[in-house]
Amino acid sequence: MTSGTAGDTTAKTWLPHVLMGAGILYFLVPLLWVVIAATKSQPDLLDSPALWFADFNLLENIEQLFHEDGGVYGGWLVNTALYSGLSALGATALAAAAGYGLARFTFLGKRFFETALLGMIMVPATALVLPTYLILSELDLVNTMWAVVLPSLLSPFGAYLVRVYVDESVPAELIDAARIDRASELRIFWQIVLPMMRPALVTVFLFTLVATWNNYFLPLVMLSDADLYPLTVGLTTWFNTAQQDAGNRMLFNLVVTGSLLAIVPLVIAFVLLQRFWRSGAAAGALK
Amino acid sequence: MTRSSPITAPAADDLPPSPRPVEHRPRRKPRRVTEHPVAGALFVLPFFLVVVAFLVVPLGYAFWLSLSSKSLALGTRFTGIGNYVRAFTDPVLLDGLLRVVLFGLVQIPVMLGIALAGALTLDAVTTRFALAFRLIAFMPYAVPAVVGALMWGFLYSRTFGPFADLPTLVGGDPIDFFSSSLLLVSLGNIVTWAWTGYNMIILYSALQGVPREMYEAAVIDGATPVQIALRVKVPAIRQAISLAVIFTVIGTMQFFTEPQIMARFAPQVSAGYTPNLYAYNQAFAYSDFNYSAALSFALGFLVFVVAYAFVFVSRRRGARS
Amino acid sequence: MLGTRWMAKLRAGLVATGLLAVAACGGAVDDADGPVRVSVWAWYPEFKAVVDAFNASHDDIQVDWTNVGTGPDQYAKLKTAFTAGKGAPDVAMVEFQQIPTFVILDALVDMGQHGANDDKSLYAEWAWSQATDGDKVYAIPVDGGPMALMYRKDLFDQHGIPVPTTWQEYADAAAKIKAVDPNAYIASFGSDGGWLNGLMWQAGCRPYGYSQAKAKDQVKINLTAPECEKVVNLYGDLVSKGQMAQDKFFTADATAALDSGKYWTWAAAGWTPGYVAGSLKNTAGKWAVAPMPQWTAGADEQGDWGGSTFTVTKQAKNPKAATTVARELFGRSKAAWDIGLNKAFLYPLAKEVAADPAFTGKAYDFFNGQKVNEIFVPVSQKLGEFQYTPFQDFVFKDLNDRTAEAMSGSRRWSTVLGETQKNVIAYAEKQGFKVSR
Repeated sequence: MTSGTAGDTTAKTWLPHVLMGAGILYFLVPLLWVVIAATKSQPDLLDSPALWFADFNLLENIEQLFHEDGGVYGGWLVNTALYSGLSALGATALAAAAGYGLARFTFLGKRFFETALLGMIMVPATALVLPTYLILSELDLVNTMWAVVLPSLLSPFGAYLVRVYVDESVPAELIDAARIDRASELRIFWQIVLPMMRPALVTVFLFTLVATWNNYFLPLVMLSDADLYPLTVGLTTWFNTAQQDAGNRMLFNLVVTGSLLAIVPLVIAFVLLQRFWRSGAAAGALK
Repeated sequence: MTRSSPITAPAADDLPPSPRPVEHRPRRKPRRVTEHPVAGALFVLPFFLVVVAFLVVPLGYAFWLSLSSKSLALGTRFTGIGNYVRAFTDPVLLDGLLRVVLFGLVQIPVMLGIALAGALTLDAVTTRFALAFRLIAFMPYAVPAVVGALMWGFLYSRTFGPFADLPTLVGGDPIDFFSSSLLLVSLGNIVTWAWTGYNMIILYSALQGVPREMYEAAVIDGATPVQIALRVKVPAIRQAISLAVIFTVIGTMQFFTEPQIMARFAPQVSAGYTPNLYAYNQAFAYSDFNYSAALSFALGFLVFVVAYAFVFVSRRRGARS
Repeated sequence: MLGTRWMAKLRAGLVATGLLAVAACGGAVDDADGPVRVSVWAWYPEFKAVVDAFNASHDDIQVDWTNVGTGPDQYAKLKTAFTAGKGAPDVAMVEFQQIPTFVILDALVDMGQHGANDDKSLYAEWAWSQATDGDKVYAIPVDGGPMALMYRKDLFDQHGIPVPTTWQEYADAAAKIKAVDPNAYIASFGSDGGWLNGLMWQAGCRPYGYSQAKAKDQVKINLTAPECEKVVNLYGDLVSKGQMAQDKFFTADATAALDSGKYWTWAAAGWTPGYVAGSLKNTAGKWAVAPMPQWTAGADEQGDWGGSTFTVTKQAKNPKAATTVARELFGRSKAAWDIGLNKAFLYPLAKEVAADPAFTGKAYDFFNGQKVNEIFVPVSQKLGEFQYTPFQDFVFKDLNDRTAEAMSGSRRWSTVLGETQKNVIAYAEKQGFKVSR
């Protein structure tokens, strides 16, 4: 690490450690609650102390979770992974090409386009969803996976990040040298530039993955078939059902267990990938 | 908060038209651009098409919608800027704006203050405990905003949650997190919980890139870690901080998901609680898609103005210092 | 919408590239030889079995059912689909208070043209009048929510508090309950538009009037009539005195409070027996149902909270087949109502189903064996006409926001309806209506 004060970690650092301890509590307690609550049956969820275990019912909850409504939850998991995976791959590919094109070439309108990138980031997502719906509806694409995936390909920030990164980390000399060797532009991009951009691409991929994984509003508007829902929309639907028809379907235990299972893959991915993630972020921030 | 764009702070000085401020950083190679117009344009083309299809066209369409008015009894007619005049004189929208601004004035400094303090701590303390703190603080970012809001809805409730009854232990009344006096605080807490760790990691990454030489002299002079943090490190990552502020402001102005979910617990979340929620209700509850488009546009315009004003001011400051 | 020619080209291109292979569009499709398929959006519990029963008993029509969300979520989807001009189902479940809204959006088919007027005598009069406009039939009633007072019989008996028969007695009981148990409340003011509306209905308040058939741009708004004000004043008074709690209905907090002795009553509806039996486990057997307290001793005024219908949308490919589905999914179907009554716990608006001794004579364990439908059924028969505005979402939302202000202390209860009246009139006039009182 780069710290200039590392080493004296005893007497002087008790205060930071106490503060970090408080932070850990703050960030962890809600997550702990989900873990604990997911192990409770519906009646225990209402009756037992919030932050301590009652009868261990996790496996029953998971079993019920994957059987409720004909096992639709499993489909939501698959949909979420599919939509976010496809969107992230597509958005990263587009951003890689565009960022490289903007950084290493000149063409008509480039400067204007670059200036517009920051403006694009500021457009409220909710403002775009409705007109996008109307357009996709004209194309008969509403209520299909494409209605979620295609708009998610848009990542002005990704393109911007790649442009900054290429500008700094891919020497123009290298590309010129390859051109002298008569390599095609596509080949230069594929064999030389792409491998060098990897840290930035990992970052863009992770960002778009999380953005689509967490997206609620777009799929809520676009999809009306429960089999096509991602987790966010599906769980909210269940929550509403639990409130409206509580007599027949008290689903709170499923909402909680379903939330836990929705969070777990991303948390694991983030803890494992944090190294990549930070190196990419640092690249964007400082290079 | 619906924040679809990541906020890894790319230094704001990389915004195209600006002069690059002088900063202590590794030497740059001079920027080299090659003239291969066709190939370059082809690389950008796929992205450009997506921008046109899912940004330019929808925006244009929304703008066109916003120029008409639809009334239930009279049908649709062209009204030009009528919807915008209505928007900026609509007390519900203005109340919502005021609420969001107040919310931001408190929540943003608190959240980014904690994030900055955390990042500086992480930069100075390298124990395993600090590593654990870093990982855990970042976890809420992996929780979808909807799920986070539902979760906090449970946590705030008297039935499910551990917090509401805490005062009863010392003989007080239970806390009603959904009451009008506490609602904004409750919402602010959800946002702070979700985004502090994320911003902290961004700032921490920026700090990691600050060259040691910059403060070695200060260490030799006997400056305390706190002095170094405030006088050397914070100014060195000023650009990253500015960007974190801009993106947080954008996210706050578009505040939507948390209040929308929280309305299921709290009747105090009114139809126009935030401007974005108001635009949503106009379209999806009152079927007034035209006015909704105008509200979204007006909001987007305000966000744009605020963000650019901030960029401008921070650049000016940067140039002076 | 957009230029149709280039849209068509684009669509052709998409089809060619296979992008559209998976495109699903709701709507009836007439196969040359197969049955007509009719798409239905609804969120009734246990509805799959009802659909199966319909499909089993019909050869020429088959129903494809989708649950796209509860209440407002489904309406949002319907409204976007109508704006887009496509994407709506053939048949949609719509609650009574929403019917004029969809009528004015020109979203609903007049089923009278397909013979639905024949069903008039089958349904409770109040329901049929809300579902129709003259001889235009926009909806087929399914379930309703005639109101009655659910109360904790054990607690009232134990403390010798008489079960209130008038609202004055109700207010007295509220004070007594607070006196015997400081942590208890007579009920909760639930922030539910339909509930408050039912209470106002029961008080003889008729705040809205609209008939598209008579005058498309005329609407009556009169929320400040004394019959309306007295309801809000009574409840506001109880809330201000701390004798009525403020939990939103159907939240876990409200449910837990009902189940823990914190609330002693609930002015509930015909669908309540099913709702509470599933969610209140601790207090099962301790509850009973009494007729609603009256504003005038000895009167018999009643109200309704909730209820829904089937409508046929203007996007239906085969409106005649869709009308058949709307009329017969529940209708008089024995198989459907067997599920509707015993599993989904709907209150039937079909008169012969409600009059069936199997329904009226049903004893509920939750109510300690009481035959509660003997109370609900006469209420539904007694209900008179009650109309809604064609922008009822706005009215309920504004009323909710104003009562929320009153609950938080930033508005006096006595100004709630006046302010709502003002806002609603302003909105209605902006929407091009002529407003009368």
